[in-house]
Amino acid sequence: MDAAQLTQQMINGLTLGSLYALIAIGYTMVYGILRLINFAHGDVLMVGCYFAWFGAVQFGMPWYVALMGAMVLTAALGVLIDQGAYRPLRHAPRISALITAIGVSFFLENLGLVVFGGRPKAFARPEMFNHIYQWGEVRVLSLSIWVPILTAIILAGLILFIRRTRVGMAMRALSRDLVTVQLMGIDTNRVVAATFALGSALAAAGGVFWAMKYPQINPLMGVLPGLKAFVAAVLGGIGNVTGAMLGGLLLGMAEIMLVALLPELAGYRDALAFVLLIGILIFRPTGIMGEELPE
Amino acid sequence: MNKPLLRAEGLTARFGGLTAVDAVELSLPVGQLAGLIGPNGAGKTTCFNLFAGRIRPSEGRLRFAGQDIVGLRPSRINQLGMARTFQNIRLFGELSVLDNVLVGFHGGLKSNFLSAILRLPGYVAEERRMQDRAAEIIELCGLTRLRDEPAGSLAYGSQRLLEIARALATNPKLLLLDEPAAGMNPQETTGLAALVRRLRDELDVTVLLIEHDMRFVMKLCEHLTVLDHGRVIARGAPHEVQQDPAVIQAYLGAGEPEGVAP
Amino acid sequence: MRLQSLLKPGGLLQPGPLPPASQSRRRDTLLTIGACLFAALGLWLLENHASGYVVHLSCVGAIFATLAVSYNLINGVTGQFSLEPNAFVACGAYVTALLTLSPAEKEASFILEPLIWPLSAFSIPLLPALVIAGLLTAFMAFLMGFPVFRVRGDYLAIVTLGFGEVIRVVANNAQSVTNGPLGLKGIPHLTNLWWSWGLLAVCLFFIVRLVHSSYGRALMAIREDETAAEAMGINAFWHKMLAFTLSAFFEGVAGGLLAHLITTISPTLFTFFLTFNLLIIIVVGGLGSTTGAVLAAFLFTYGGEWLRVMEEPMRILGWDIPGIPGMRMVMFSLILVVMMIFMRRGLLGSHDFSWRWLAALLGRRARP
Repeated sequence: MDAAQLTQQMINGLTLGSLYALIAIGYTMVYGILRLINFAHGDVLMVGCYFAWFGAVQFGMPWYVALMGAMVLTAALGVLIDQGAYRPLRHAPRISALITAIGVSFFLENLGLVVFGGRPKAFARPEMFNHIYQWGEVRVLSLSIWVPILTAIILAGLILFIRRTRVGMAMRALSRDLVTVQLMGIDTNRVVAATFALGSALAAAGGVFWAMKYPQINPLMGVLPGLKAFVAAVLGGIGNVTGAMLGGLLLGMAEIMLVALLPELAGYRDALAFVLLIGILIFRPTGIMGEELPE
Repeated sequence: MNKPLLRAEGLTARFGGLTAVDAVELSLPVGQLAGLIGPNGAGKTTCFNLFAGRIRPSEGRLRFAGQDIVGLRPSRINQLGMARTFQNIRLFGELSVLDNVLVGFHGGLKSNFLSAILRLPGYVAEERRMQDRAAEIIELCGLTRLRDEPAGSLAYGSQRLLEIARALATNPKLLLLDEPAAGMNPQETTGLAALVRRLRDELDVTVLLIEHDMRFVMKLCEHLTVLDHGRVIARGAPHEVQQDPAVIQAYLGAGEPEGVAP
Repeated sequence: MRLQSLLKPGGLLQPGPLPPASQSRRRDTLLTIGACLFAALGLWLLENHASGYVVHLSCVGAIFATLAVSYNLINGVTGQFSLEPNAFVACGAYVTALLTLSPAEKEASFILEPLIWPLSAFSIPLLPALVIAGLLTAFMAFLMGFPVFRVRGDYLAIVTLGFGEVIRVVANNAQSVTNGPLGLKGIPHLTNLWWSWGLLAVCLFFIVRLVHSSYGRALMAIREDETAAEAMGINAFWHKMLAFTLSAFFEGVAGGLLAHLITTISPTLFTFFLTFNLLIIIVVGGLGSTTGAVLAAFLFTYGGEWLRVMEEPMRILGWDIPGIPGMRMVMFSLILVVMMIFMRRGLLGSHDFSWRWLAALLGRRARP
C-alpha cells in the first residue's frame, strides 16, 4: 500500500474515530455518574438520525438546521428515557438498571422497525460534503475532512462547558462522589438529566454524520456503532471524557487500518472492537486514562 | 518453643500516596485471645484484610501456621485455617441462617459436583455430617430458633452472631473478629464474651479481635496490640497497655473512648 | 390490594411460610416419578393427536425451557450477569448440524467454498453429535471463562456480549466451516417431543440437583456476596466456571436440537436478539428460580404465539385495526421495562418448586 492510499485511509480512520468519539462521550458521562451502561445510547443515536431525516426530507430544512433540531429533540429523548426508565431504579441493584437499559434499547429498535420498517432509507448528503478533493494520488471525500473538524469544534465546546459552567462542574463532581454532592444540596436529578441530554445530543450529531457518510439509515443502525463506541469508552478509561475521545479515535483508526492492511480479514472488522475490549480488560483494565475499576 | 500461629513481619500496605499499614509486626501464639485496638482509621481492618488475603501487602512477610501466605487467594487461606468476620456485616442475605452456616462447610467438601448431583453415598454422608455440625454451631451461637429465617431479616445482634457461626463452620484454627460487639447492649456483650471464651476453651480456636468497646476488650483479651496511623505503638497485657502514655496520647488525640481511663 | 401483592418482595407466586421439611424424601421422589409418568402420557397424547403446529410449538417450548434453565444457572443462581447464550446456542447448533448432515448434502450446501476435511467426509447419528456439540461448547465456555471472569458486574455483561458478537462474526465469515451467511440447510428433522422434553428432563435433573446441593449454596453465596464467599473458603473463580460450563453444555445441546427442529440455520438466527429473549424469560420467571425459568419459557413460547394475534388485522368495538408486524417485540420490551420497575422479582423471585411449596400455595389459595 503506497503513501497516497495510506493517507486516504488515515483520513478515513480519523473520520470514523471522530464518530466513535462523539458517541462514546455519552456512554462515558452517564457511566461516570450512574455507573450504568446505557445500552439504549446507540438506539437514541438512531432516533436522532430519523429526526434529522424528517427535518431534511419532510420539511426541507437545510442540513445544519435539521442537525440542530435533531440534537435538541434527541436530547429531550435522552432525558425522557432517564426520568422514565432509569430514575425509578436509582436505588435498585445495578443489574436491574442494566436489564432495563437493554429493555429500552430493544423497545426503541422494535418501535423503529414497526414505524419505519426494516428497509433502509436514503439519507441525503448535503452538497458541501459531497465533493471529492484530489491532491495528486490522494482522493478524499470532503465529508471526511469536515467531520473531524466539526467534531473537534463540538468537543472543544463540550470541554469548555464542562470546565466553565456550573452544570459542567456539577457533572464532574457527581462522577467523583454522588452521595456527597447530594448532601451539598445540589439537585442531582437535574444534573443527571443534563448529562443524558448532552450525551444524547452528541450521539445525535455522531449519528447524523454517520448517516451522511454511509448514506442510509435503518432502525438497527445504532446497535453496532453503539457497542463499538462503548468499547472505545472503555479503551480510553470509562468515566473519563478525554479518554472517550482518545478511545474513539484509536478504535476508528484500528478498524480502518485492519481493513486497509489485511483486506482478507475485512469481514472481521466488527469483531476487532471486542477483541480489543477483551485485551484491554486483561492487560490494563482501567483503560488508557482511567483511574479506577468498577467494583 | 511453640511457633506462633500467625506471624507478620514488616507488613506494609500502601494505596497510592497513603500508607494505611506501616511495617506492622505481630506474633500470635496458638490459643491466645488477642485484641487489635486503636483509634478510628488506625488501619486495623486493613490489617485483617492483609492477613486474610483480601489485600496484597506492598511489603513484608506473613506466615500462618508456618506457611508463607502472601499472594494466596482468600479462599485458600481460609482452607488453611483462618476465618474472619466483617466490620460491615456481609451475610448471604437471601439465604437462611442454616444455609449461611452450611456455606461455611463447602470449602472443606471432598465430593465433586458430579457426586453431589448424583447423590452418591460419599456426598450424602458428607451432607449429613455438615447438617449435624451446622446444627451444633447454630446452637452454640444461640441462633437455633432463627434457623430458617433469611439472614437479611435478622436483628443486628443476631446477624453479628451469624457471621461468627458461619466463620466457625469453616473449621478455623484462627478466627479474626472485626468489631463483633458493635451495636450490642451490655447483656449481649457479656454473652458474646462467654461465647468467645468457649470457642477458645472448647474448640481450640485462637481469636484475634478488633474492638472499640474497651470494657469488652479489657475483660476478654489476654494480649493487646495497639495501632495508630498504621503503626504499632504498644503491645502487651491489657493493664500495661492501658497505662502506656503513647496509647493514651493516641486515644486522647482522637477523643477518649469509654473505659480507657485507669 | 392487587397492586400490593404485585409488589411482594418474594415474587408474585409467594405462598407464605412453608411447613417444615418432612423427612419423607420417599414421598417426594414418588410424587416426582408420578409427575414424570403423567408428563410422558401427555407427550404421547400430543404426539398422536395434536396438530403438527402444536407439536412443533411444544418442542420449541421445551428447548427454550432448557435454555432458560441453563441461562438461569449462571445469571440467576450464581449472579453473574452475562449476555452470551446466543454464542453457545450457535456453537451447539452448527457443530451438531455439521456432524449429522450427510456428505452429499454438505457438498450441495457449500457452494462458495467446500467444507473442510474431515467434516466433509462423514456424518454421525444425532445422539453422539449432540454430546460432542455439548462438550465442545462447554470447552469453549471454559476457555472464555479465563478472561471473562477477571471482570465483574457491567463489564462482565459487555465482555460476554462481545464474545457473542465475535462468534456471530466468525460464523458469518468462516465460509469453509460454517458456510458463512448462507448457513446450513437440509438438516434432518430429527427433533421430536421425546428429544426436546427428554433434554429438558435431563437438564432439570442435573441443574435442580446441583442447586439443591452444597454446590448450589456455594453458587448462591457468590451471588449474594462474592467477597464473603471467598472468605469462607469458596474459590469463586472455579465455581463460576462450573456454572458457566455446565450452562454452556446444555445450551449447546439445546442449540443442536433447535437446528434439527427448524432444519435451516444461519448466523442471523443467533444474534443478541436470542439472548434478549432468554433474558426476558428468566427475569419474568424470577432470577434464580429454576421453576420460574421453565414456567416463563412456556409462557413466552405459547404466549408469544398468542401475541402474534396482535400483529393480525382485527376488529375491536367496531374499529378496524390493521395488522402491525413486529408489535410483539415492542410489547415484550415494554413488559420487560415495566417489570423491572414494578415487579423486579418476577413470578417466583428466587424460590424454587418443591412439593410442599405447591401444597402451601394451594392451601393458601383455598382459604377465602
